[in-house]
Amino acid sequence: MEDFPSGTTLFVEGRSFVHALNPLTKLAWVLVAGALAYGAPVRTPQAQWLACAALLVLNCCLLLSAGVALKAWGLVWRIMLPLMLFMLPIHGLLYPGNRTVVWVWHGLAVYSEGLVFAGTVLLQIIVLLSASLLFVLCTHPADMVTAVTQAGGSPKLAFLVGSPLLMLPAMRARASTVQAAQRARGLDSEGGIFRRAKGLFPLVKPFLLGAIMDIEQRAVALEVRGFNSRSARTAWREVADSPAQRWARWSMLAACLGVAVYWIVVKTGLCA
Amino acid sequence: MSISEQLKKEFSTFTFVLIAVAIVLNIVVGQLVSLLKLPIFLDSIGTVLVGVLAGPWAGGLTGLLTNLIWGVISSPVAAAFAPVAMVIGIAAGLCARYGLFRTWWLAIISGVIITVFNSIVAVPIRLYMFGGITGSGGDFFTAYMLALGNDLFGSVVVMVFTSNLLDKVVTALIAWGVVKAMPGRTAARFPGVQSVS
Repeated sequence: MEDFPSGTTLFVEGRSFVHALNPLTKLAWVLVAGALAYGAPVRTPQAQWLACAALLVLNCCLLLSAGVALKAWGLVWRIMLPLMLFMLPIHGLLYPGNRTVVWVWHGLAVYSEGLVFAGTVLLQIIVLLSASLLFVLCTHPADMVTAVTQAGGSPKLAFLVGSPLLMLPAMRARASTVQAAQRARGLDSEGGIFRRAKGLFPLVKPFLLGAIMDIEQRAVALEVRGFNSRSARTAWREVADSPAQRWARWSMLAACLGVAVYWIVVKTGLCA
Repeated sequence: MSISEQLKKEFSTFTFVLIAVAIVLNIVVGQLVSLLKLPIFLDSIGTVLVGVLAGPWAGGLTGLLTNLIWGVISSPVAAAFAPVAMVIGIAAGLCARYGLFRTWWLAIISGVIITVFNSIVAVPIRLYMFGGITGSGGDFFTAYMLALGNDLFGSVVVMVFTSNLLDKVVTALIAWGVVKAMPGRTAARFPGVQSVS
């Protein structure tokens, strides 16, 4: 479990404060940031933007201090740019609640309601994205796996999280092999859509069947190594944790619960 | 059969390895079919296979974990759609349990049923988290529906259903074909396989 091939995940090596946090603490932060971005307990849109902006600034500071700001910057643009390019024009022109024209160009009217709606959603997404990048970029995959077992999760669940990451490079190589083999046998990848569609099953079937046939060997290998044993496992890797972090995690979960309860109360009008 | 007995039968060591392999299949198969440049991604083929071979809970777990792992290896946005992937696995498992993977034309019906469940879960996520737009080609269709005077909800429902229908039907067909092509010795190891043949 220790030597995850580097480059499989987005993880960036580092020794910062964020890197040293327990993975579950970072995960709890993603939850609370999402809950506050989408449902901050405030009544006006302005206050909600303020809450989102504050969260965003906080996340940026944390990303900077962790030394992963450059990688995060690239990823955020890669994910947000297509969203922005679609969302701003589509909602600006066509949002069903559009009333107020801000700009007319050759008969095309851009409306403020749609732009505000798109802007709010983009801001919410970027808050949630930056929080999840704190987790993804600053947590070693092996630490995620260990944290699952240390938190009382089943070692089998840890296997399901960890082993796909280990299998990925080999399976990618196999996919290229199948591609090359079927191409050598005359698979048509350039012709019309129906000729290409014909190639789908011959391409996918050997890949899927080959992978399924391997399962038996893997299962036997696991069973002789005590996969079904009920005794507690010892781990090489220790994931740092502290009473303060445990306390912080519980209060963050309580905050999420609080947000949910607040909206249930407001929406159902229990305290009207 | 009680639920705990069912779960025990569904989750053997064999099933755990199947789930782990299927997660990788989901992630890698896109690279494989990109060669053909078809409007099909097959990114839930592993999930559907597990649903058919091992049962609905194992299928659901496969989908859920696939998208969470995707969130770690390429883009956190995938993790937001983890519940959608989970429902695909559960729906495929239930279809198989009720005999809807016995023949190729039943598999097509399963594909349609999977698309319906997929849409029920995907629409609220798209609508409330992403404001109806996710930065993909399907957004042109949403825009067209909006321009025709539909509301955002209706536009997103139609867009999600149509953009997934072909992919899920082809996925179900391929899953059926692979299960049929599996040698009997291997097939016999899976708990769900008798409801297929």
